[in-house]
Amino acid sequence: MLSFAAVVDRALSGPICTERDFELGIFVPNLRRVVEKYDIKYDPQNPVPADDDLADRVWEAGLEFLTETGVYCTDTERRILFTREEIEGALAFGPRGNTFGEGKDAKVMPRRRPEDETPPWCSVGPTSSPLSSEQIYLSIVKAHAENPLGNSITIPCLTMVDGRQIVAGSPLGIEGAIRAVLLTREAMRRAGRPGMPIVNGVTTAARSQEHIAAHRFGLRQSDAMEIGTTHEMKIDFDSLNKIAFSLAAGSLVFAENGVILGGLAGGPAGVAVVTAAYNPVDILVLRGAVQHPFPTHFDLGVTSTRDTIWPRSLANQAITRNSSLPVVNVGYSGAGPMTKMLYYEHSAWVIASVVSGGSIEVGASARGTTLDYTSPIEPLLASEVAHAVAGMSRPEANKIINVLLAKYEDNLRNPPAGQRYQECFDVASGTPTAECAALYREVKQEMADEFGLKFNPVSPYA
Amino acid sequence: MAAESKYERLSEAIIEGDGGKTLAAIEEALQGGMAPGEVIEKGLTPGMKEVGERFARYEIYLPEMMMAGEAWEQAMKVLEPKLLAAGGEKKKAGRVVIGTVSGDVHSIGKNIVAAMLKMNGFEVFDIGIDVASSVFVTRAEEVGADIIAASALMSTTMPQQRDIIEHLEARGVRDKYTFLVGGGSTSQEWADSIGADGYGRTAGDAAALALKVMAGKS
Repeated sequence: MLSFAAVVDRALSGPICTERDFELGIFVPNLRRVVEKYDIKYDPQNPVPADDDLADRVWEAGLEFLTETGVYCTDTERRILFTREEIEGALAFGPRGNTFGEGKDAKVMPRRRPEDETPPWCSVGPTSSPLSSEQIYLSIVKAHAENPLGNSITIPCLTMVDGRQIVAGSPLGIEGAIRAVLLTREAMRRAGRPGMPIVNGVTTAARSQEHIAAHRFGLRQSDAMEIGTTHEMKIDFDSLNKIAFSLAAGSLVFAENGVILGGLAGGPAGVAVVTAAYNPVDILVLRGAVQHPFPTHFDLGVTSTRDTIWPRSLANQAITRNSSLPVVNVGYSGAGPMTKMLYYEHSAWVIASVVSGGSIEVGASARGTTLDYTSPIEPLLASEVAHAVAGMSRPEANKIINVLLAKYEDNLRNPPAGQRYQECFDVASGTPTAECAALYREVKQEMADEFGLKFNPVSPYA
Repeated sequence: MAAESKYERLSEAIIEGDGGKTLAAIEEALQGGMAPGEVIEKGLTPGMKEVGERFARYEIYLPEMMMAGEAWEQAMKVLEPKLLAAGGEKKKAGRVVIGTVSGDVHSIGKNIVAAMLKMNGFEVFDIGIDVASSVFVTRAEEVGADIIAASALMSTTMPQQRDIIEHLEARGVRDKYTFLVGGGSTSQEWADSIGADGYGRTAGDAAALALKVMAGKS
């Protein structure tokens, strides 16, 4: 496989073009051409398509698009280009079978395919959501780590250290990143799962020096650094520096691609193709152990809309039928904790991900942006749903998701805010209030009755 | 050719985001005796309005908006000198300096807002991503902006929006500019807490807010 050094060489010496020309002169026309050539058409009635030929066409379109377009380095204003042979080589020799975590919490990340019966990997945690205090941080991460189906922790974003607001790029950013890792380790220890891996090291960190500092204070080789491309098919030196460090440190990488529906990729068809095209980029450029995609709506800021679930499902199918790099999909729902809508949103994108060959990372509510509006109980049910639908057919999942969408999609523009963590959980013990546990049981029963889901009896609140 | 169909040709060229076609339609309209102001108001502006409406209905997306914006800018380079020579006035909704704050490399939301502002007749100066607070102020001073718009997606980069206000105050120019904020982690509550003049949750909100600001200034 092409070395990372060769990729860096190309970032430093590839063809020069302006960012505008890359976007409107290369990216957009190349994408439009392959979407038309491979006849990729959005079908809103079927958020989970069950057409293998369509999935394979999306894959072919993605590879052709990547070969013609390349990845744009914003610092050098050069394109990093790959031949088809280099892409095929990366796919043939890319990473697989990596173990995350330590001790009894160590586990191999599964490669799954559409309709696969293999249980999905479930990463739980507040998923980058901002939290107001270290006390809440410890409480909520411990409660997530107590989820018996949780395989890894996705850590939140600390906003304050020692009473000071964290400013990215400042020394407070360094301290914030370090503090987040130390708090997470302590929370997992309190939950009795000290070996549980962190897979988004480090959300609080924005810049490479913050990632590197956090690594020095508690991130392990069996954790994953989360490193992403920027929108769309772009990378900068700061991200390349993170990769250089992760390679030197022997770290695993969650390669993040949040293609924006409505952005340069355009509509759902373009989003599916670009998400698929990112798979070899994640191997060649980001040196990922996992692809971590999440098509996101440009206007609503969530991943639970019909037109983002369709490309999520289709891209997952395209990727997992053709590449060995495991997929772990993250999602951002609009409603806040203690609302039925949040359960429905989580369930919809989780089911679409799992039956389409992915695993899940669940925990972001209220778009993952509102201070303290996140709780561990909806992600608990989402991980139970993920296990319950492993092996389900895509048409059956499609029916369920259409029912779920009908329950909430009209409310996505103004979703209910719900409650903050400290309102629906007891912070000291990290346990839900009686009302919160009751709502969980009510929705779980509704899912079982309405969709025939059979849940593994592992829940602490069943 | 009937006047309506000439207007339609101009509008369609803008909607398609085809600069060459737009310039050809303008040339034809001018040769046919249409005044530069009429070309803009009855031909091109309805096209821009239609682009904005299609975007709001999710029928088109950022690339189409950017291309329409570029076609519009090409058209204005030809038409504005003719308009001024004929005794007319350049009609701009206002001047906006827009960027993503220091430490933050997220561009799409900012780009969509910039495109929406262009659709609504603003002259937009996009200063990019990861922009130092002082640069927002310097650029606004250079171009005589009416509005400064700062985007921040992350909770650890939001404080930079407050920092821009402090830079405006330090230079004694806070009152010259309307300062608008937006981005994933921001909110009306945040905007109020730092003393921003407005908050746009969506690109459409931001454009409407900017228009309201300028209406209040005139």
